[in-house]
Amino acid sequence: MESSQPGNTTITGILDTRVSRLLAFGGILLIASGMLLGDIFAIFILHPNNARIGAAMYGAAMAIPAVDTDAIMAHFHAIGGFLENRGTKVDAHSHSVSLGYLAVLLAILQPYVALSNGTKLRLAWAYVLSAALLPFAIFAIHYVGLAYSPLDFIGWASIVADTVALIVAVTVSAQLLGLWRYWRQGQEAVAGPACLQSMTRSGRILLSGGSLLLLAGFIYGGAYAGYIEWLRSPSEVDILKGIITHAAQQQSVEADFAAYGAYQAAQGINVAAHAHVNSMGILLMLLALVQPFVFLSESWKKRWAVIMVVGSAVLPLSILLELRLGLIAGGMADIAGAAVICALVAMLFGLVRQTGATDSA
Amino acid sequence: MNRENRILILTGLAMIALTMFFGFWYAVFDEHQTLVGMTVAMMNGFLEAARGNLPEAYGAIDEYGRIAKEYRREVHFHGHWGFLGLILILYGLVAHTIHFGQRARVLLATCLAASAILFPFGVLLQIGPMDWLGKILAVLGSIGLVFGMLAFVTGILRRREVSG
Repeated sequence: MESSQPGNTTITGILDTRVSRLLAFGGILLIASGMLLGDIFAIFILHPNNARIGAAMYGAAMAIPAVDTDAIMAHFHAIGGFLENRGTKVDAHSHSVSLGYLAVLLAILQPYVALSNGTKLRLAWAYVLSAALLPFAIFAIHYVGLAYSPLDFIGWASIVADTVALIVAVTVSAQLLGLWRYWRQGQEAVAGPACLQSMTRSGRILLSGGSLLLLAGFIYGGAYAGYIEWLRSPSEVDILKGIITHAAQQQSVEADFAAYGAYQAAQGINVAAHAHVNSMGILLMLLALVQPFVFLSESWKKRWAVIMVVGSAVLPLSILLELRLGLIAGGMADIAGAAVICALVAMLFGLVRQTGATDSA
Repeated sequence: MNRENRILILTGLAMIALTMFFGFWYAVFDEHQTLVGMTVAMMNGFLEAARGNLPEAYGAIDEYGRIAKEYRREVHFHGHWGFLGLILILYGLVAHTIHFGQRARVLLATCLAASAILFPFGVLLQIGPMDWLGKILAVLGSIGLVFGMLAFVTGILRRREVSG
Protein backbone atom coordinates (compact mmCIF):
# COMPACT_ATOMS: atom_id res chain seq x y z
CA MET A 1 0.00 0.00 0.00
CA GLU A 2 1.40 3.37 -0.89
CA SER A 3 1.60 6.11 1.65
CA SER A 4 0.90 9.76 1.41
CA GLN A 5 2.58 10.62 4.65
CA PRO A 6 4.48 13.90 4.45
CA GLY A 7 7.80 13.29 2.79
CA ASN A 8 6.66 10.58 0.42
CA THR A 9 6.55 11.82 -3.17
CA THR A 10 6.84 8.56 -5.10
CA ILE A 11 3.21 7.86 -5.77
CA THR A 12 1.69 8.12 -9.21
CA GLY A 13 -0.85 10.80 -8.63
CA ILE A 14 -3.77 12.41 -10.28
CA LEU A 15 -2.03 15.71 -9.64
CA ASP A 16 1.14 14.91 -11.55
CA THR A 17 0.09 16.72 -14.72
CA ARG A 18 -1.19 20.26 -15.18
CA VAL A 19 -4.35 18.95 -16.83
CA SER A 20 -5.30 16.65 -13.97
CA ARG A 21 -4.41 19.27 -11.39
CA LEU A 22 -6.56 21.87 -13.08
CA LEU A 23 -9.53 19.50 -13.28
CA ALA A 24 -9.12 18.22 -9.71
CA PHE A 25 -8.83 21.67 -8.10
CA GLY A 26 -11.50 23.17 -10.31
CA GLY A 27 -13.77 20.26 -9.44
CA ILE A 28 -13.28 20.45 -5.71
CA LEU A 29 -13.81 24.22 -5.72
CA LEU A 30 -17.01 23.74 -7.72
CA ILE A 31 -18.25 21.11 -5.26
CA ALA A 32 -17.42 23.24 -2.20
CA SER A 33 -18.94 26.43 -3.64
CA GLY A 34 -22.02 24.54 -4.84
CA MET A 35 -22.52 23.12 -1.34
CA LEU A 36 -22.04 26.53 0.25
CA LEU A 37 -24.63 28.00 -2.10
CA GLY A 38 -26.98 25.14 -1.20
CA ASP A 39 -26.55 25.80 2.52
CA ILE A 40 -27.14 29.56 2.12
CA PHE A 41 -30.11 28.89 -0.17
CA ALA A 42 -31.68 26.47 2.31
CA ILE A 43 -31.31 28.86 5.26
CA PHE A 44 -32.14 32.25 3.75
CA ILE A 45 -34.17 31.71 0.58
CA LEU A 46 -35.98 28.36 0.46
CA HIS A 47 -38.35 28.71 3.42
CA PRO A 48 -39.27 32.43 2.97
CA ASN A 49 -39.80 31.79 -0.74
CA ASN A 50 -42.10 28.82 -0.09
CA ALA A 51 -44.11 30.97 2.33
CA ARG A 52 -44.45 33.69 -0.36
CA ILE A 53 -45.66 31.13 -2.92
CA GLY A 54 -48.24 29.81 -0.45
CA ALA A 55 -49.41 33.34 0.40
CA ALA A 56 -49.77 34.27 -3.28
CA MET A 57 -51.75 31.08 -3.98
CA TYR A 58 -54.01 31.85 -1.03
CA GLY A 59 -54.48 35.40 -2.32
CA ALA A 60 -55.45 34.06 -5.75
CA ALA A 61 -57.97 31.67 -4.15
CA MET A 62 -59.48 34.51 -2.12
CA ALA A 63 -59.93 36.50 -5.34
CA ILE A 64 -62.15 33.73 -6.83
CA PRO A 65 -65.34 34.49 -4.80
CA ALA A 66 -64.72 38.22 -5.38
CA VAL A 67 -64.48 37.52 -9.16
CA ASP A 68 -61.36 39.68 -9.17
CA THR A 69 -59.57 38.32 -12.25
CA ASP A 70 -56.95 41.09 -12.22
CA ALA A 71 -55.91 40.07 -8.71
CA ILE A 72 -55.71 36.39 -9.76
CA MET A 73 -53.44 37.27 -12.68
CA ALA A 74 -51.29 39.51 -10.48
CA HIS A 75 -50.88 36.72 -7.90
CA PHE A 76 -49.91 34.19 -10.56
CA HIS A 77 -47.45 36.64 -12.08
CA ALA A 78 -45.84 36.87 -8.64
CA ILE A 79 -45.90 33.06 -8.24
CA GLY A 80 -44.05 32.73 -11.58
CA GLY A 81 -41.32 35.00 -10.21
CA PHE A 82 -41.06 33.10 -6.92
CA LEU A 83 -40.84 29.76 -8.73
CA GLU A 84 -38.13 31.11 -11.03
CA ASN A 85 -36.23 32.40 -8.00
CA ARG A 86 -36.35 28.97 -6.34
CA GLY A 87 -35.74 26.95 -9.52
CA THR A 88 -32.64 28.88 -10.59
CA LYS A 89 -31.10 28.59 -7.10
CA VAL A 90 -31.67 24.83 -7.02
CA ASP A 91 -30.28 24.50 -10.56
CA ALA A 92 -27.19 26.59 -9.76
CA HIS A 93 -26.52 24.48 -6.66
CA SER A 94 -27.03 21.09 -8.32
CA HIS A 95 -25.13 21.95 -11.53
CA SER A 96 -22.15 23.32 -9.61
CA VAL A 97 -21.86 20.17 -7.48
CA SER A 98 -22.47 17.72 -10.35
CA LEU A 99 -20.00 19.42 -12.70
CA GLY A 100 -17.48 19.43 -9.85
CA TYR A 101 -17.88 15.68 -9.40
CA LEU A 102 -17.37 15.16 -13.10
CA ALA A 103 -14.25 17.37 -13.14
CA VAL A 104 -12.60 15.26 -10.42
CA LEU A 105 -13.52 12.05 -12.27
CA LEU A 106 -12.08 13.46 -15.49
CA ALA A 107 -8.87 14.33 -13.60
CA ILE A 108 -8.53 10.69 -12.55
CA LEU A 109 -9.28 9.47 -16.09
CA GLN A 110 -6.72 11.72 -17.84
CA PRO A 111 -4.00 9.03 -18.18
CA TYR A 112 -6.47 7.06 -20.31
CA VAL A 113 -7.49 9.91 -22.61
CA ALA A 114 -5.65 9.45 -25.91
CA LEU A 115 -5.30 13.08 -26.95
CA SER A 116 -2.25 15.33 -27.15
CA ASN A 117 -1.25 17.17 -23.98
CA GLY A 118 -2.02 20.53 -25.57
CA THR A 119 -5.52 19.42 -26.55
CA LYS A 120 -6.13 17.96 -23.09
CA LEU A 121 -5.04 21.21 -21.43
CA ARG A 122 -7.28 23.31 -23.69
CA LEU A 123 -10.21 20.97 -23.03
CA ALA A 124 -9.59 21.13 -19.28
CA TRP A 125 -9.54 24.95 -19.30
CA ALA A 126 -12.69 25.06 -21.44
CA TYR A 127 -14.43 22.63 -19.08
CA VAL A 128 -13.40 24.32 -15.83
CA LEU A 129 -14.16 27.87 -17.00
CA SER A 130 -17.51 26.89 -18.53
CA ALA A 131 -18.48 24.76 -15.55
CA ALA A 132 -17.63 27.65 -13.21
CA LEU A 133 -19.59 30.16 -15.29
CA LEU A 134 -22.68 27.97 -15.71
CA PRO A 135 -23.96 28.15 -12.07
CA PHE A 136 -23.31 31.93 -11.99
CA ALA A 137 -25.29 32.40 -15.21
CA ILE A 138 -28.16 30.22 -13.94
CA PHE A 139 -28.15 32.13 -10.64
CA ALA A 140 -28.34 35.44 -12.54
CA ILE A 141 -31.34 34.44 -14.69
CA HIS A 142 -33.87 35.59 -12.08
CA TYR A 143 -32.15 38.96 -11.55
CA VAL A 144 -31.15 39.84 -15.13
CA GLY A 145 -34.54 38.92 -16.61
CA LEU A 146 -35.09 40.14 -20.16
CA ALA A 147 -33.02 43.33 -19.80
CA TYR A 148 -31.38 44.25 -23.14
CA SER A 149 -32.13 40.76 -24.44
CA PRO A 150 -32.26 40.30 -28.22
CA LEU A 151 -34.90 37.56 -27.71
CA ASP A 152 -38.49 37.78 -26.49
CA PHE A 153 -38.51 34.88 -24.06
CA ILE A 154 -34.97 34.35 -22.71
CA GLY A 155 -32.53 36.90 -21.31
CA TRP A 156 -28.77 37.34 -21.47
CA ALA A 157 -28.12 35.18 -18.41
CA SER A 158 -29.98 32.28 -20.05
CA ILE A 159 -28.08 32.81 -23.30
CA VAL A 160 -24.74 32.68 -21.45
CA ALA A 161 -25.86 29.63 -19.43
CA ASP A 162 -26.95 27.76 -22.56
CA THR A 163 -23.72 28.65 -24.41
CA VAL A 164 -21.39 27.47 -21.64
CA ALA A 165 -23.54 24.36 -21.12
CA LEU A 166 -22.98 23.51 -24.78
CA ILE A 167 -19.22 24.04 -24.38
CA VAL A 168 -19.23 21.70 -21.36
CA ALA A 169 -21.11 19.07 -23.37
CA VAL A 170 -18.64 19.35 -26.26
CA THR A 171 -15.59 19.05 -23.96
CA VAL A 172 -17.08 15.96 -22.27
CA SER A 173 -17.73 14.43 -25.70
CA ALA A 174 -14.09 15.10 -26.63
CA GLN A 175 -12.94 13.33 -23.44
CA LEU A 176 -15.18 10.40 -24.35
CA LEU A 177 -13.59 10.32 -27.80
CA GLY A 178 -10.13 10.31 -26.20
CA LEU A 179 -11.03 7.40 -23.92
CA TRP A 180 -12.56 5.52 -26.83
CA ARG A 181 -9.39 6.03 -28.88
CA TYR A 182 -7.22 4.83 -26.00
CA TRP A 183 -9.08 1.57 -25.61
CA ARG A 184 -9.78 1.02 -29.32
CA GLN A 185 -6.15 1.48 -30.34
CA GLY A 186 -5.06 -0.94 -27.60
CA GLN A 187 -2.41 1.51 -26.44
CA GLU A 188 0.21 0.36 -23.99
CA ALA A 189 -1.15 0.23 -20.51
CA VAL A 190 -0.30 3.31 -18.52
CA ALA A 191 0.47 3.05 -14.82
CA GLY A 192 -2.59 5.08 -13.95
CA PRO A 193 -3.34 6.76 -10.69
CA ALA A 194 -2.26 4.95 -7.56
CA CYS A 195 -5.78 5.28 -6.19
CA LEU A 196 -6.96 2.64 -8.64
CA GLN A 197 -4.50 0.06 -7.42
CA SER A 198 -4.69 0.27 -3.65
CA MET A 199 -6.49 2.21 -1.00
CA THR A 200 -5.67 3.65 2.38
CA ARG A 201 -7.79 3.07 5.50
CA SER A 202 -9.49 6.44 5.12
CA GLY A 203 -10.17 5.58 1.48
CA ARG A 204 -11.85 2.32 2.47
CA ILE A 205 -14.05 4.10 5.02
CA LEU A 206 -15.16 6.58 2.38
CA LEU A 207 -15.64 4.00 -0.37
CA SER A 208 -17.74 1.68 1.80
CA GLY A 209 -19.77 4.56 3.25
CA GLY A 210 -20.34 6.06 -0.19
CA SER A 211 -21.46 2.84 -1.85
CA LEU A 212 -23.84 2.08 1.04
CA LEU A 213 -25.33 5.59 0.83
CA LEU A 214 -25.84 5.24 -2.92
CA LEU A 215 -27.65 1.96 -2.47
CA ALA A 216 -29.83 3.40 0.31
CA GLY A 217 -30.59 6.49 -1.78
CA PHE A 218 -31.58 4.49 -4.80
CA ILE A 219 -33.84 2.11 -2.87
CA TYR A 220 -35.46 5.07 -1.12
CA GLY A 221 -36.04 6.89 -4.43
CA GLY A 222 -37.54 3.76 -5.98
CA ALA A 223 -39.84 3.19 -3.00
CA TYR A 224 -41.00 6.83 -3.04
CA ALA A 225 -41.63 6.74 -6.82
CA GLY A 226 -43.66 3.54 -6.35
CA TYR A 227 -45.71 5.19 -3.59
CA ILE A 228 -46.45 8.22 -5.80
CA GLU A 229 -47.23 6.16 -8.89
CA TRP A 230 -49.12 3.16 -7.64
CA LEU A 231 -50.36 3.76 -4.11
CA ARG A 232 -53.01 6.23 -2.97
CA SER A 233 -50.71 9.18 -2.52
CA PRO A 234 -52.37 12.63 -2.38
CA SER A 235 -52.73 14.17 -5.85
CA GLU A 236 -51.81 17.81 -6.45
CA VAL A 237 -54.52 18.11 -9.11
CA ASP A 238 -57.24 16.88 -6.72
CA ILE A 239 -56.10 19.32 -4.01
CA LEU A 240 -56.10 22.23 -6.49
CA LYS A 241 -59.59 21.28 -7.68
CA GLY A 242 -60.71 21.28 -4.06
CA ILE A 243 -59.28 24.78 -3.58
CA ILE A 244 -61.04 26.32 -6.60
CA THR A 245 -64.30 24.45 -5.93
CA HIS A 246 -64.54 25.58 -2.32
CA ALA A 247 -63.43 29.13 -3.19
CA ALA A 248 -66.03 29.37 -6.00
CA GLN A 249 -68.72 28.14 -3.59
CA GLN A 250 -67.54 30.70 -1.00
CA GLN A 251 -66.61 27.93 1.44
CA SER A 252 -63.51 27.76 3.62
CA VAL A 253 -60.30 26.76 1.83
CA GLU A 254 -58.22 26.43 4.98
CA ALA A 255 -58.27 22.61 4.96
CA ASP A 256 -57.40 22.53 1.24
CA PHE A 257 -54.43 24.84 1.77
CA ALA A 258 -53.28 22.77 4.73
CA ALA A 259 -53.39 19.70 2.48
CA TYR A 260 -51.60 21.60 -0.32
CA GLY A 261 -48.86 22.78 2.05
CA ALA A 262 -48.42 19.24 3.40
CA TYR A 263 -48.25 17.86 -0.16
CA GLN A 264 -45.63 20.41 -1.27
CA ALA A 265 -43.56 19.90 1.89
CA ALA A 266 -43.66 16.10 1.62
CA GLN A 267 -42.69 16.16 -2.04
CA GLY A 268 -39.91 18.72 -1.59
CA ILE A 269 -38.43 16.95 1.42
CA ASN A 270 -38.57 13.45 -0.08
CA VAL A 271 -37.01 14.54 -3.36
CA ALA A 272 -34.32 16.55 -1.55
CA ALA A 273 -33.51 13.63 0.78
CA HIS A 274 -33.20 11.22 -2.17
CA ALA A 275 -31.03 13.64 -4.17
CA HIS A 276 -28.76 14.45 -1.22
CA VAL A 277 -28.20 10.81 -0.19
CA ASN A 278 -27.04 10.05 -3.72
CA SER A 279 -25.01 13.21 -4.05
CA MET A 280 -23.24 12.50 -0.76
CA GLY A 281 -22.64 8.89 -1.80
CA ILE A 282 -20.93 10.05 -4.98
CA LEU A 283 -18.86 12.58 -3.04
CA LEU A 284 -17.66 9.96 -0.55
CA MET A 285 -16.62 7.54 -3.30
CA LEU A 286 -14.82 10.36 -5.14
CA LEU A 287 -12.95 11.39 -2.02
CA ALA A 288 -11.99 7.75 -1.44
CA LEU A 289 -10.17 7.85 -4.78
CA VAL A 290 -8.23 11.02 -4.00
CA GLN A 291 -7.18 9.98 -0.47
CA PRO A 292 -3.66 8.87 -1.53
CA PHE A 293 -3.02 12.46 -2.61
CA VAL A 294 -4.31 14.14 0.53
CA PHE A 295 -1.08 15.22 2.24
CA LEU A 296 -2.20 14.75 5.85
CA SER A 297 -1.26 12.17 8.46
CA GLU A 298 -3.26 8.94 8.22
CA SER A 299 -4.90 9.54 11.62
CA TRP A 300 -6.16 12.96 10.49
CA LYS A 301 -7.33 11.55 7.18
CA LYS A 302 -9.29 8.89 9.08
CA ARG A 303 -10.88 11.54 11.31
CA TRP A 304 -11.95 13.66 8.33
CA ALA A 305 -13.21 10.53 6.56
CA VAL A 306 -15.38 9.59 9.55
CA ILE A 307 -16.72 13.17 9.78
CA MET A 308 -17.50 13.08 6.07
CA VAL A 309 -19.35 9.75 6.30
CA VAL A 310 -21.34 10.76 9.40
CA GLY A 311 -22.16 14.22 8.01
CA SER A 312 -23.16 12.75 4.66
CA ALA A 313 -25.55 10.29 6.31
CA VAL A 314 -27.01 12.80 8.80
CA LEU A 315 -27.65 15.52 6.18
CA PRO A 316 -30.28 13.65 4.11
CA LEU A 317 -31.71 11.97 7.23
CA SER A 318 -32.24 15.40 8.81
CA ILE A 319 -33.92 16.66 5.64
CA LEU A 320 -36.26 13.67 5.83
CA LEU A 321 -37.05 14.38 9.50
CA GLU A 322 -37.98 18.02 8.80
CA LEU A 323 -41.65 17.05 8.43
CA ARG A 324 -41.73 15.66 11.99
CA LEU A 325 -39.11 17.71 13.83
CA GLY A 326 -39.32 20.98 11.90
CA LEU A 327 -36.58 23.49 12.65
CA ILE A 328 -34.61 21.09 14.87
CA ALA A 329 -34.11 18.78 11.90
CA GLY A 330 -33.41 21.80 9.68
CA GLY A 331 -30.68 22.87 12.11
CA MET A 332 -29.24 19.34 12.15
CA ALA A 333 -29.13 19.37 8.35
CA ASP A 334 -27.33 22.71 8.33
CA ILE A 335 -24.77 21.52 10.90
CA ALA A 336 -24.19 18.28 8.98
CA GLY A 337 -23.81 20.28 5.75
CA ALA A 338 -21.29 22.58 7.46
CA ALA A 339 -19.34 19.55 8.81
CA VAL A 340 -19.16 18.08 5.31
CA ILE A 341 -17.89 21.40 3.92
CA CYS A 342 -15.23 21.61 6.69
CA ALA A 343 -14.01 18.07 5.97
CA LEU A 344 -13.99 18.82 2.26
CA VAL A 345 -11.95 21.99 2.76
CA ALA A 346 -9.52 20.06 5.02
CA MET A 347 -9.01 17.49 2.26
CA LEU A 348 -8.54 20.27 -0.28
CA PHE A 349 -5.87 21.70 2.01
CA GLY A 350 -4.19 18.27 2.03
CA LEU A 351 -4.33 18.15 -1.75
CA VAL A 352 -2.70 21.58 -2.00
CA ARG A 353 0.09 20.40 0.32
CA GLN A 354 0.54 17.30 -1.86
CA THR A 355 0.89 19.48 -4.94
CA GLY A 356 3.51 21.62 -3.25
CA ALA A 357 5.47 18.52 -2.21
CA THR A 358 5.32 17.10 -5.76
CA ASP A 359 6.45 20.41 -7.24
CA SER A 360 9.38 20.81 -4.83
CA ALA A 361 10.47 17.20 -5.50
CA MET B 1 -8.02 -1.30 -17.13
CA ASN B 2 -10.18 -4.36 -17.66
CA ARG B 3 -13.31 -4.94 -19.70
CA GLU B 4 -15.63 -4.24 -16.77
CA ASN B 5 -13.88 -0.90 -16.18
CA ARG B 6 -14.30 0.08 -19.83
CA ILE B 7 -17.96 -0.89 -20.02
CA LEU B 8 -18.83 1.21 -16.98
CA ILE B 9 -16.62 4.22 -17.72
CA LEU B 10 -17.49 4.55 -21.40
CA THR B 11 -21.23 4.05 -20.78
CA GLY B 12 -21.19 6.52 -17.90
CA LEU B 13 -19.36 9.23 -19.82
CA ALA B 14 -21.52 8.69 -22.93
CA MET B 15 -24.66 9.04 -20.79
CA ILE B 16 -23.33 12.27 -19.27
CA ALA B 17 -22.45 13.73 -22.68
CA LEU B 18 -25.87 12.81 -24.08
CA THR B 19 -27.77 14.19 -21.10
CA MET B 20 -25.79 17.43 -21.37
CA PHE B 21 -26.85 17.83 -25.01
CA PHE B 22 -30.41 16.95 -23.99
CA GLY B 23 -30.24 19.56 -21.20
CA PHE B 24 -29.00 22.19 -23.66
CA TRP B 25 -31.79 21.39 -26.14
CA TYR B 26 -34.36 21.30 -23.36
CA ALA B 27 -33.26 24.63 -21.84
CA VAL B 28 -33.28 26.40 -25.21
CA PHE B 29 -36.39 24.95 -26.85
CA ASP B 30 -38.72 23.45 -24.26
CA GLU B 31 -38.21 24.34 -20.58
CA HIS B 32 -39.34 27.96 -20.70
CA GLN B 33 -42.48 27.10 -22.67
CA THR B 34 -43.29 24.22 -20.31
CA LEU B 35 -42.91 26.34 -17.18
CA VAL B 36 -45.02 29.16 -18.63
CA GLY B 37 -47.59 26.58 -19.76
CA MET B 38 -47.84 25.20 -16.22
CA THR B 39 -48.40 28.61 -14.64
CA VAL B 40 -50.89 29.70 -17.31
CA ALA B 41 -52.89 26.44 -17.01
CA MET B 42 -53.17 26.78 -13.23
CA MET B 43 -54.05 30.48 -13.54
CA ASN B 44 -56.77 29.61 -16.08
CA GLY B 45 -58.20 27.15 -13.59
CA PHE B 46 -58.53 29.93 -11.01
CA LEU B 47 -59.87 32.43 -13.57
CA GLU B 48 -62.54 30.02 -14.86
CA ALA B 49 -63.55 29.20 -11.30
CA ALA B 50 -63.93 32.92 -10.62
CA ARG B 51 -66.17 33.18 -13.70
CA GLY B 52 -68.28 30.30 -12.40
CA ASN B 53 -67.20 27.85 -15.14
CA LEU B 54 -66.16 24.93 -12.96
CA PRO B 55 -65.97 22.26 -15.73
CA GLU B 56 -63.57 24.52 -17.69
CA ALA B 57 -61.67 25.23 -14.49
CA TYR B 58 -61.24 21.49 -13.83
CA GLY B 59 -60.07 21.05 -17.43
CA ALA B 60 -57.43 23.73 -16.94
CA ILE B 61 -56.23 22.14 -13.68
CA ASP B 62 -56.05 18.74 -15.44
CA GLU B 63 -53.98 20.42 -18.17
CA TYR B 64 -51.70 21.83 -15.44
CA GLY B 65 -51.32 18.30 -14.03
CA ARG B 66 -50.45 16.93 -17.46
CA ILE B 67 -47.78 19.59 -18.15
CA ALA B 68 -46.38 19.30 -14.60
CA LYS B 69 -46.04 15.52 -15.03
CA GLU B 70 -44.29 16.05 -18.38
CA TYR B 71 -41.93 18.59 -16.81
CA ARG B 72 -41.08 16.28 -13.92
CA ARG B 73 -40.39 13.38 -16.29
CA GLU B 74 -38.06 15.49 -18.49
CA VAL B 75 -36.12 16.91 -15.55
CA HIS B 76 -36.02 13.43 -13.97
CA PHE B 77 -34.54 11.97 -17.17
CA HIS B 78 -31.88 14.70 -17.45
CA GLY B 79 -30.88 14.51 -13.78
CA HIS B 80 -30.93 10.74 -13.45
CA TRP B 81 -28.94 10.06 -16.60
CA GLY B 82 -26.31 12.51 -15.37
CA PHE B 83 -26.14 11.12 -11.86
CA LEU B 84 -26.24 7.48 -12.94
CA GLY B 85 -23.48 8.32 -15.43
CA LEU B 86 -21.33 9.64 -12.58
CA ILE B 87 -22.05 6.51 -10.52
CA LEU B 88 -21.12 4.25 -13.44
CA ILE B 89 -17.77 6.04 -13.88
CA LEU B 90 -17.07 5.74 -10.15
CA TYR B 91 -17.94 2.05 -10.18
CA GLY B 92 -15.82 1.71 -13.33
CA LEU B 93 -12.78 3.11 -11.54
CA VAL B 94 -12.92 0.46 -8.80
CA ALA B 95 -14.68 -2.39 -10.64
CA HIS B 96 -11.49 -4.44 -11.00
CA THR B 97 -10.96 -4.51 -7.25
CA ILE B 98 -14.32 -5.89 -6.13
CA HIS B 99 -14.62 -9.38 -4.69
CA PHE B 100 -15.88 -11.33 -7.73
CA GLY B 101 -14.34 -13.29 -10.59
CA GLN B 102 -13.64 -11.59 -13.93
CA ARG B 103 -16.73 -13.03 -15.67
CA ALA B 104 -19.05 -12.03 -12.86
CA ARG B 105 -17.57 -8.52 -12.84
CA VAL B 106 -18.19 -8.12 -16.59
CA LEU B 107 -21.74 -9.44 -16.17
CA LEU B 108 -22.35 -7.07 -13.27
CA ALA B 109 -20.94 -4.12 -15.24
CA THR B 110 -23.18 -4.95 -18.22
CA CYS B 111 -26.24 -5.25 -15.99
CA LEU B 112 -25.51 -1.91 -14.30
CA ALA B 113 -24.80 -0.11 -17.58
CA ALA B 114 -27.94 -1.45 -19.30
CA SER B 115 -30.14 -0.71 -16.28
CA ALA B 116 -28.74 2.82 -15.90
CA ILE B 117 -29.66 3.55 -19.53
CA LEU B 118 -33.07 1.89 -19.41
CA PHE B 119 -34.43 3.34 -16.17
CA PRO B 120 -34.37 7.09 -17.01
CA PHE B 121 -35.23 6.33 -20.65
CA GLY B 122 -38.33 4.49 -19.44
CA VAL B 123 -39.28 7.51 -17.35
CA LEU B 124 -38.98 9.77 -20.42
CA LEU B 125 -41.10 7.40 -22.53
CA GLN B 126 -43.93 7.75 -20.00
CA ILE B 127 -44.66 11.24 -21.38
CA GLY B 128 -46.03 10.06 -24.73
CA PRO B 129 -48.28 7.32 -26.08
CA MET B 130 -45.71 4.64 -25.17
CA ASP B 131 -46.49 5.20 -21.49
CA TRP B 132 -46.98 1.45 -20.86
CA LEU B 133 -43.59 0.56 -22.39
CA GLY B 134 -41.95 3.37 -20.41
CA LYS B 135 -43.32 1.95 -17.17
CA ILE B 136 -42.04 -1.55 -17.99
CA LEU B 137 -38.57 -0.23 -18.89
CA ALA B 138 -38.40 1.98 -15.80
CA VAL B 139 -39.36 -0.91 -13.50
CA LEU B 140 -36.93 -3.31 -15.21
CA GLY B 141 -34.16 -0.69 -15.06
CA SER B 142 -34.84 -0.02 -11.37
CA ILE B 143 -34.74 -3.72 -10.49
CA GLY B 144 -31.50 -4.15 -12.44
CA LEU B 145 -29.96 -1.14 -10.72
CA VAL B 146 -30.98 -2.24 -7.21
CA PHE B 147 -29.59 -5.75 -7.72
CA GLY B 148 -26.49 -4.43 -9.46
CA MET B 149 -25.79 -1.87 -6.76
CA LEU B 150 -26.41 -4.44 -4.02
CA ALA B 151 -23.94 -6.83 -5.66
CA PHE B 152 -21.43 -4.00 -6.14
CA VAL B 153 -21.68 -2.92 -2.49
CA THR B 154 -21.15 -6.53 -1.40
CA GLY B 155 -18.12 -6.71 -3.68
CA ILE B 156 -16.73 -3.43 -2.36
CA LEU B 157 -17.16 -4.42 1.29
CA ARG B 158 -15.26 -7.63 0.53
CA ARG B 159 -12.86 -5.91 -1.88
CA ARG B 160 -9.36 -7.08 -2.60
CA GLU B 161 -6.14 -5.14 -3.11
CA VAL B 162 -4.93 -5.09 -6.71
CA SER B 163 -1.39 -4.69 -7.79
CA GLY B 164 -0.40 -3.20 -11.12
